[in-house]
Amino acid sequence: MRIGVFFETYRGEEQLWDSPAAKAWLALFALAMLLLPWWGSDYIVAMACIVGIHLVATLGLNITTGGAGLISLSHAAFMGVGCYAVSWFARWGLPFYLALPLAGMLAALIGMLVGLPSLRVKGMYFAIATLAAHFVLGFLFREWTPVTGGPRGVTIPPASLFGLELTGDRRMFYLIYACALALGIAAANLGRSYVGRAFIAVRDRDISAEILGVDLLRTKVLAFMTGAFYAGVAGGLLGYFYGAITSEYFTFSLSVFYLAAIIVGGMGRVLGSVLGAVFMTLVPECLRLLSSATSAWMPSLANLLLPMGQVVFGLLIIGFLILEPHGLAQIWARIRRTFHLWPFRT
Amino acid sequence: MPSRRTLLKTAAAASVGIAAWRPGFAQTKADIVIGAAHPMTGFMSFAGVASNHALGDYIAWRNQNGGVLGHRIRYVGEDSAYKVDQGVAVVKKMIASDKPSFIYLDGTPLSKAVARDVLSTQMIMTGGFSSSEALLDQKAYPHHFLSGPTFGATHEILMEYIGRVAKASGSAPRIALVYTDQEFGNEAIPHSKARAQKLGLPIVQEVVTKPTGVDVTSEVAKLRRARPDIVIFQGYIMNPVPEFVRQMREAGLTAQVMSTTYGLDRIMYEALAKNGERLTGVMPYSYGYDTESKTMATIREYVAKARPQQDSISVFYIHAWLTGMIFCEVAERCIKAGKPLTMPNMKAALESIRDWDTGGLTGLLVDLSSHQIKTGRIYSYDPATRRMEPASGWIRV
Amino acid sequence: MTDFYIFLEFTLLGLLSSGVAALIALSFVLVYKGTRVVNFAAGEVMMLGAYCYYTAAALWHWPPVLALLAALAAVAVVSTCIEALVLRALAGQPTISILMATIGLASLLHGAVEIAWGQDPLETPALLPRMPLNFGEVMIPGAAIGNFLLAAALIAALVAFFRYTQTGIAMRATASDPVTAATLGVDIRSSQRLTWILSGTTGTVAGALIAGAGSVSPALASTALSVFAVVILGGLDSVAGVILASLIVGWLESLTVGYVGGKMRDVFPYLVVLVILVVRPHGLLGTREIERL
Repeated sequence: MRIGVFFETYRGEEQLWDSPAAKAWLALFALAMLLLPWWGSDYIVAMACIVGIHLVATLGLNITTGGAGLISLSHAAFMGVGCYAVSWFARWGLPFYLALPLAGMLAALIGMLVGLPSLRVKGMYFAIATLAAHFVLGFLFREWTPVTGGPRGVTIPPASLFGLELTGDRRMFYLIYACALALGIAAANLGRSYVGRAFIAVRDRDISAEILGVDLLRTKVLAFMTGAFYAGVAGGLLGYFYGAITSEYFTFSLSVFYLAAIIVGGMGRVLGSVLGAVFMTLVPECLRLLSSATSAWMPSLANLLLPMGQVVFGLLIIGFLILEPHGLAQIWARIRRTFHLWPFRT
Repeated sequence: MPSRRTLLKTAAAASVGIAAWRPGFAQTKADIVIGAAHPMTGFMSFAGVASNHALGDYIAWRNQNGGVLGHRIRYVGEDSAYKVDQGVAVVKKMIASDKPSFIYLDGTPLSKAVARDVLSTQMIMTGGFSSSEALLDQKAYPHHFLSGPTFGATHEILMEYIGRVAKASGSAPRIALVYTDQEFGNEAIPHSKARAQKLGLPIVQEVVTKPTGVDVTSEVAKLRRARPDIVIFQGYIMNPVPEFVRQMREAGLTAQVMSTTYGLDRIMYEALAKNGERLTGVMPYSYGYDTESKTMATIREYVAKARPQQDSISVFYIHAWLTGMIFCEVAERCIKAGKPLTMPNMKAALESIRDWDTGGLTGLLVDLSSHQIKTGRIYSYDPATRRMEPASGWIRV
Repeated sequence: MTDFYIFLEFTLLGLLSSGVAALIALSFVLVYKGTRVVNFAAGEVMMLGAYCYYTAAALWHWPPVLALLAALAAVAVVSTCIEALVLRALAGQPTISILMATIGLASLLHGAVEIAWGQDPLETPALLPRMPLNFGEVMIPGAAIGNFLLAAALIAALVAFFRYTQTGIAMRATASDPVTAATLGVDIRSSQRLTWILSGTTGTVAGALIAGAGSVSPALASTALSVFAVVILGGLDSVAGVILASLIVGWLESLTVGYVGGKMRDVFPYLVVLVILVVRPHGLLGTREIERL
């Protein structure tokens, strides 16, 4: 609650902004994003597309792990399922607005299978069971050649909207961010619904939730399926974006990357997913730019780019966990609170 | 005291002005830009660092020797860390800002991922580290070429040699294949088996290992039962081959040890030589210490001046230098014919390269009409000179 | 009869190779048992130990045993630092936070090792002499018996330590109920520190054994991932479970290589784990956690 902000209608309380100033900033941001393919260079648009794909996946993981407390180490594998599914649907001629949701649903189905043990197996055992699932799915990606193309991978024909082919980053940008926007609003609404509150109840104390009437198995499996759906859609977008994908892309490190994104961003909040995805994608890029900028007078630094990136990654995670466990979203909220009535103190 | 508003307005105007200012400069002959995404960090760093040096060295050397018909060559080398995400971002940035005519790519996944972007410019030809035959698909990758034989072709050369030796000695050796569960390992195997069958050579066992396998005791046990005379390792740079071979010897197997290209470099043959092993195998290029090759002498001379602490020239270095040579040869042919450097012209120029002399780098004259160079030679380790010496003439398949 | 010998050979090889896996799995279990933390950085600590052993043995030319002791000392220091700096600060936070902290730590250690020693494989002298055994149809390669004996000796020593020494019993007390142990006068802090040091010890010995087989490289850390199947199968907090599970998994992996083919080698144990978890959700010998409201 902030001073000077009070709602007069129920409608007002449900809005995504909480003051006219916030509304104005949001509108400005939306306009800038809409026009990004115009004012952005190729590089910026490409980075924005990659950030968008990571954003969709992070939103999903934040529902499963941040919302319902189920640690999922197999998120990257679900992305793979979505990607391969899209390659098949697209080859059968399905347009992207059918292929993407269907791929998501297929990933959700696999997510249901992985999430089923969650009633019997809890906590760390469950996390490692998801790790086992990740390895099994990875094995299928590599070996099941008729479906996944084996180590060669698959190619995905570009998406097309009523005959207009969505080739090139500038067009894919709109597709990716349309999906991200829709799924982000869905995630926010989920948090405010009965299902979302059930997730949080299960996260905090599942025995108490069960006593209160929440069906544990259904809720946990639903949380897993939702996260997997998002991952599947993200995988499909990845396929459309790259056009060709091999099984080497969906590694355990990718799952760890998404976990880091939700920790750094803030677990359980949509804004946390956004900030986390942006931050985690841009930090390695910034490091790379930094090392190439300083490569003139410190050439050996370039050789250390990847290990330095890992060190920074590790320090970031540990730093955030020790200093700000609620992530960037909390820092953001604090900054907003400070500036809300600036220069007056609250 | 100007108000805050006027200050802000001036700053905004100034920044717009600076952003819009483009210094004009005159150029005589347009630079040819060669870009590259090397895995300079990560688990492939030994390859990426070498190939980055090699391309940089070749381009510097070529510029010192007249460039390409007077055109200077500019080199843009970036790090991809062998990650598709980073490689794609780096390549897209390069295409947008440096506008290269040639790009050297770090491997098959990256080559596939950027294919669409590269093709859509119709102005770029790519080469790179991959030896996968998937990239020879002219419909999907008409802009790409391989600077050597594919994995499959390499094995065909090896089988040809084994077949010749078998015919000379009168008996067919039993062959076992040990390979990794990755493209570097398993892509060659169907070709290997097909050529072996054609030549009447029996393949008695196939053993698959993880690429980073540590415990190989069970795999050796499986191999031992088949009693092979020749064991061919495919897809390993070094580990776990020395331990594998040590266990093979302890198990009483006296089979000959063979390998190919990237598994035949110094790090492998020296590790095996420490245990008294003599490695044999196929290499599509001469080794860095070869004295017959003019180009190799040039390379050694340049490296001695530019980087005296580099004491050997690895196969990754040679591969990248050769790719640089091919890039410049294609550019030269286009310019000589008066055609601009567009992808169709460059492809035609590439395919016109038959009987091209690389100064001994590849032994035989190079034929790139099929977008690969299907030649190689067998080398064997000589304990006297402590190097790999040629054990056959150059073979073309 | 040859078929039986083939089966026997694969079985023996599998059981013998389980020694090193048991050591790595033990480093997980010790930490979990002592401090309820799942240490995803165990692979990296093992790798650090292997690199320290390499430095002492190959660069400073110390005899292998001294080099191992030096590596153990170095890893003990690092473990103490980790425990003091990172895990103290995160005491009491939810599981996911501590999990992510160990993952971040793994990344940090990995990057630091690569910066310090470079990314290429480095040849390492072997820790133990090779003793190949050949009896008739069955052949055991040189390193297998030595590794197994060393691993078995170390595990036996640890079990004896926990059972019979004062410090060991104090650590077990801290593990099962820190508050009560504190009221009885046990120094909890040093028990937990010692737990981490012991975990680092087993990891280092495993790393040195693996590195001695060939060379040490940053890829060493990823061998720890495959050990998760063993840890879960045995039960996260059971030493006996770890021993049993590593024998089972080692045996299964060997049979998979021998009869099915090397590709399935990694996946098969995980499939088995997934099946076992349905029947015994806390692993074979893990303690059933009783949740209270």
